[in-house]
Amino acid sequence: MQKWMWILWPSFIIAGVAEGIFFSLVNPQELYFLGDPVHYSAIATYSIGFLAFWMVCACSSFLTWSLQRPAGEVNARG
Amino acid sequence: MNLSPQQQKIIEIVPQGAPSIVEESLFEVRKKIYPRAVTGLFARWRWGMVIFTQLLFYGLCWVPWNDRQAVLFNIVERKFYLFGLVLWPQDVFYLAILLIISAFSLFLFTAVAGRLWCGFACPQTVYTEVFLWIERVFEGDRGARMKLDSGDMSQVKLLRKGGKVLTWALLAAWTGFTFVGYFTPIHELWGEVWNFRLGPWESFWLCFYSAFTYLNAGHMREQVCKYMCPYARFQGVMFDPDTLVITYDTERGDPRGSRKKGIDPRSEGKGDCVDCQICVQVCPTGIDIRDGLQYECIGCAACIDACDQVMEKMNYPKGLIRYSTENALSQHWGWREILRHVVRPRVLIYMGILSIVVSAFLFGLLTKSSLQVNVIRDRGIMGREVEGGLIENVFRLQVMNVSEHYQFYAVKVEGLPGIKLASDHVIELPAESSRVFTFEVRADPESGKPGSNPISFEIESLLGDAEAHEKATFFIPR
Repeated sequence: MQKWMWILWPSFIIAGVAEGIFFSLVNPQELYFLGDPVHYSAIATYSIGFLAFWMVCACSSFLTWSLQRPAGEVNARG
Repeated sequence: MNLSPQQQKIIEIVPQGAPSIVEESLFEVRKKIYPRAVTGLFARWRWGMVIFTQLLFYGLCWVPWNDRQAVLFNIVERKFYLFGLVLWPQDVFYLAILLIISAFSLFLFTAVAGRLWCGFACPQTVYTEVFLWIERVFEGDRGARMKLDSGDMSQVKLLRKGGKVLTWALLAAWTGFTFVGYFTPIHELWGEVWNFRLGPWESFWLCFYSAFTYLNAGHMREQVCKYMCPYARFQGVMFDPDTLVITYDTERGDPRGSRKKGIDPRSEGKGDCVDCQICVQVCPTGIDIRDGLQYECIGCAACIDACDQVMEKMNYPKGLIRYSTENALSQHWGWREILRHVVRPRVLIYMGILSIVVSAFLFGLLTKSSLQVNVIRDRGIMGREVEGGLIENVFRLQVMNVSEHYQFYAVKVEGLPGIKLASDHVIELPAESSRVFTFEVRADPESGKPGSNPISFEIESLLGDAEAHEKATFFIPR
């Protein structure tokens, strides 16, 4: 539980900030996805964008979490 | 740097005692906190702030303005409405400045009087206060709640818990709806909810925010402040020995202990603290303020209210726990001294930055034009000769009407003798729209030098409420 809080919460905050900055500057209707213009509704693009930011940030938090663990803990839990 | 052996100074590193590797976890298994209800000056202030901020939050999204929602962050159309102000994506600068203003206001308040924001205005505090109030209505105050939680499941317990959960859920759902209503027009949203036509993403965000409110205010409470809030972790940076914080007067209070009423505590070798623990019981984060300033303290001042009531009962002067500063406590300053130390370099710097940014913001807003024009030269045609021996250049003007009404604009061109537009001089644009207009500009080749000649477009609203000047170059071939 504590591990998930550490991973999901900071990434949530930063995803919010990244979402705000990214979509203030970029119009979701002008994005291209795999070469094709994005045809989802604006709300859908914003939401998918946020979830994607959140996932990327969570990966970073997960790495931080794994790298900061002391040796004893890694050895104990494998 | 090369030093001879004689110059080198060797500092021996000697281990001090046994190596002490203590790994402390910041997180601990939570003991449920049952904050006791509190009344008094600061509790009234907090309730005042709860009512003020929530009237604003729940109410503002319903206020109309020019046939639209007064405050709406329409992310679908990418327009932010703040009463008379309409912000477009290119105005993101204003939002950034607004964030800077908020941040520096927070720094300023914190430097002067600690965590005022946390204790009185933060949504986490506000919703926890409201949810706790609902909890009290259904389950009673601290003692009754502890008894109810430890007792076996009964019909009464089920009814009390069920009523609380249902009321919480309703309030959380309303909060989620209101939140989404700031990003999608709320009247449409209301209709969609009742006709079950809510889109999948709107439903998702509505449920997400409702669940967030329910969990944060109903269950997480002080844990959000202790383990999740980034501000709680760095707010200490803004503190200095002259910052007003909630302080227990150790010199006056210690040694603590119970005593008979009416007895002079000094005759028993005791201080003014009767060790009644009420300051601990009212604390929403469950700390003991008598242990000194702690990062968990959200500055809600509930312990001040609680302690003052005890002091009153004991006929002791109030303020055993009070707003004070580190310096005031150690040097026995009165209020006048404390106030005199409010003005200090840190506070002045924050105020200076804040006033510069606020002035820039206001200046930007007041001079913001509702008409925006971009001139683009037609790259295909540099300059061509037309009838009458005149030279013609073609320009494309992207004109943006940011105002909320239909506009007619008169377009003029200046900069060379006799320069004029070949086509229509008046253009029209609906409210909040932008279009590209093509203009052929003609001038006598003798009126300027061969090559580039600076000219300018003057665009003026026929209503007289907006104008724009855009520079361009007129090309005359050799």
